[in-house]
Amino acid sequence: MADELYLENIDEFVTDHNRVVTYKWLSYTLGVHVNQAKQMLYDYVERKRKENSGAQLHVTYLVAGNLLQNGHFVTMKSKLSTIASVHVYSIQKALLKDSSPLYNTDYDIVKTNLQHCSKFSAIRCAAAVPRTPPDAPQVPEPVQSPQRQRDPDAAINGHRVRAAKPPPQQHKGIMGMFAAKAAARPQDTPKEAKAEAKEAAGVSAANCKPPTKNTIMNNFFGKAAMNKLKANSVPEQPKEEKEVVKPSVAVAESESSPNTVAEKPGKKTESDRIQQKDKKSKTKRVDRSDDEEERDPENVKKKRKRIKQLLSDSSDEEDVPPSPTPEEERVPSPPPEPALKTELEPASTEVSAGGRKRKRKRVLKSRMFIDEEEGCMVTEKVYESESCTDSEDEFPKTKAPAPQEQAMLPTKREPKEERKNPKKGAAPASRANKQVSIMGFCQKK
Amino acid sequence: MFSEQAAATAQGLLAPPSAEPPTFPRVAVSGYSDCSQPFQLGERSFARQYAHIYAVRLAGMRPGLERRARSRWGNDVVLRRLSELQEGEKCCVVGTLFKSMQLQPSILQEISEEHNLVPQPPLPKYIQPSDELILEDELQRIKLEGAIDVQRLVTGTIVAVYGCEQDDGRFLVEDHCFADLPPPLPWSGPSSDRYVLLASGLGLGSVSGEALLSTQLLVDVVTGQLGAEGEQSCAAHITRVILAGNLLSQNTQSRDTINKAKYLTKKTQAASVEAVKMLDEILLQLCTSVPVDVMPGEFDPTNYTLPQQPLHRCMLPLASAYATLRLVTNPYQASLDGVRFLGTSGQNISDIFKYSSMDDYLEILEWTLLAGHISPTAPDTLGCYPFYKSDPFILTECPHVYFCGNAPHFQSKLLQGKEGQRVLLLTVPDFSATQTACLVNLHDLSCQPITFSSFGADSEDGDMELEH
Repeated sequence: MADELYLENIDEFVTDHNRVVTYKWLSYTLGVHVNQAKQMLYDYVERKRKENSGAQLHVTYLVAGNLLQNGHFVTMKSKLSTIASVHVYSIQKALLKDSSPLYNTDYDIVKTNLQHCSKFSAIRCAAAVPRTPPDAPQVPEPVQSPQRQRDPDAAINGHRVRAAKPPPQQHKGIMGMFAAKAAARPQDTPKEAKAEAKEAAGVSAANCKPPTKNTIMNNFFGKAAMNKLKANSVPEQPKEEKEVVKPSVAVAESESSPNTVAEKPGKKTESDRIQQKDKKSKTKRVDRSDDEEERDPENVKKKRKRIKQLLSDSSDEEDVPPSPTPEEERVPSPPPEPALKTELEPASTEVSAGGRKRKRKRVLKSRMFIDEEEGCMVTEKVYESESCTDSEDEFPKTKAPAPQEQAMLPTKREPKEERKNPKKGAAPASRANKQVSIMGFCQKK
Repeated sequence: MFSEQAAATAQGLLAPPSAEPPTFPRVAVSGYSDCSQPFQLGERSFARQYAHIYAVRLAGMRPGLERRARSRWGNDVVLRRLSELQEGEKCCVVGTLFKSMQLQPSILQEISEEHNLVPQPPLPKYIQPSDELILEDELQRIKLEGAIDVQRLVTGTIVAVYGCEQDDGRFLVEDHCFADLPPPLPWSGPSSDRYVLLASGLGLGSVSGEALLSTQLLVDVVTGQLGAEGEQSCAAHITRVILAGNLLSQNTQSRDTINKAKYLTKKTQAASVEAVKMLDEILLQLCTSVPVDVMPGEFDPTNYTLPQQPLHRCMLPLASAYATLRLVTNPYQASLDGVRFLGTSGQNISDIFKYSSMDDYLEILEWTLLAGHISPTAPDTLGCYPFYKSDPFILTECPHVYFCGNAPHFQSKLLQGKEGQRVLLLTVPDFSATQTACLVNLHDLSCQPITFSSFGADSEDGDMELEH
């Protein structure tokens, strides 16, 4: 009697739902091989014909064969000299005027089953396996300089597809550190033959973590940072988001799933906007303003993720070295500001493990010297590492209390404040490309 | 091809459901190697002049042509440079052809204020009886007349002419020859039937929807969903699908947005975005079942100049997850199961069509093979990268299958050469217009068109057919 069930199903679909039942649609809906679906349709047609119940059914057939060259033909079948195959293509109640209902039915059902569209097909291809994503994230690199060395390697290594990615990241000076990270991260898995798999690796592992921290981190960054995050994560994410949505929903807190969902529709249109923004300088905020409201919810969430990461940095001293760096690893391409901050703190804490008293910070200093050739004095702003205590250096001080404030009072005020700080940090370092922010005057020299 | 084998079980599916329908494993790819490295540009610099490409083209093809000249006109034929010509002396000169055409679109004329010309609308052909042929070598140029078909030839061809210089300074040609077929490649094709499906001009993103069903039928045949068992088992012998360009339709180009004000077009999505999404889905369906090589074409989102670089995989996130998808250059050269394929998406052939009296795409395709160069009109009328070290479009080995995409009809010819070359010349038709794809049998280099049509005017029952 199980055999009869499909007849009832087809009957229901055709007569009650008024559907166009194609063999492919039936195959996916009932979960059967396409040939079985075709046979089921034929069986139904035959039974209906025998019943002669008066219900009008229109059947579309597929006929394939060798075409006869000459003559005028009465029927489609007579046009073909040898028939290679005949089967029922679809059954529907109404007469079809054109092929669009057939196409649409198949299109819809295939779209909902894209991942396993060859499941019920008659041909299996052994070679068609998805490219395997590499293993879980590796041990993070502890120091910056090996990253720098690996950065040129990453740029050279791999084929052109890979090369397309590092250049946009290396645009601005501060981004160099991030490019080193993002590019060097794949170096951890040298066994991977495919470069795209490397990016997938970082992203798939990364995406499991960031959604959980979205709520708090997102306040942290300025728009420029968001651009970078998006620019680099968007090309890598589209592939991963499909797979990641599932794990992230399982892992993440409630607010993170709207994030990934919100990112998905936004990602495609954003990607082209992002590319433009990569090239624009930081001061061209006018153009970005109209996009900001769309991207703000995501921005806000992304920023919050950063804050939490730093919070864990400053609060938890012993865990600082391993924890921020794995988190750096997992974020696809973290924006410059967190790079600056997280590198400052891990770098400093690693140098003096366990002690907060003396830290080596990179401080913006202006150097003045006389250029003999030109016969003028040149003032240059440089980042210099210097050893200083916590209290003496205002730069980290403004940042250290700020992240803690973040956790306490997540209000609207913070995004602006945090935006100021990263901009202060980012602007001097990338002065070649950006205008120095007006907030630079507020910094203690 | 399929039909005879499949005919036995043709009506098999006109029956109640039977137990466990068979699934056929796809024939594995035994040997594939991509030979398109010369067409892949790494670091690109456009600071160079295009004169260098002509210089390397002439230098590269001169030895072959001199050999051909000697074999044709005798070993003692005098080979001269243009600067060494003596009046009245019968000699042979090897050089580059230049055809000066009055109707050839010239940007300088268009923007010149003296002439006050309205920009010329695009014509199907730019040839005129008053066109002239000029032969150029490294240093000089000379007008040609005589036994040479001015209308048929195009700029950029390397030719050897035999004749003598007249007193009015023109060269009277008695005979001429081209590089002829390149040396043959050894044959190591498969021992059993293996097929490669070639299609071009899918034209996604166009306004018309009728062609979409045909595209879906094509995908279904290749993935083994359509057809009775016999047909499906034959389809399992398709080892590869090559999509030769114009995956997107011309409508997706959205050229009019350039003229519109920025505030109107700011948030509109380009038409190609939707089309590329559709392409991604179609490619995903194909890639889960068969290796696919995707070549870009004239309307695809890649660079304009030849050689066109592969489409970027970020545009096809779903399909590029599969290793069976290969994004390749245009022109594309690869060795599939021991059979060397070489082909383009059709821009070279259609450009020659515009500037030559030859009307038949197959004839033009054969002519380019005999002239020893894939695209002689580049860079004159067809955009090309300014090569300076070597010209990658020179044919150095004779391929086994030489195809061009986006042709108006399906045509094929098996060419036999004097040195044992055996080439299948194939013009792959535009699928969005003709709903026809080509199936090439690697075993014996035979090929067959396969047409998809639905709802023919004379059908009562609403039959759909698949003809081959």
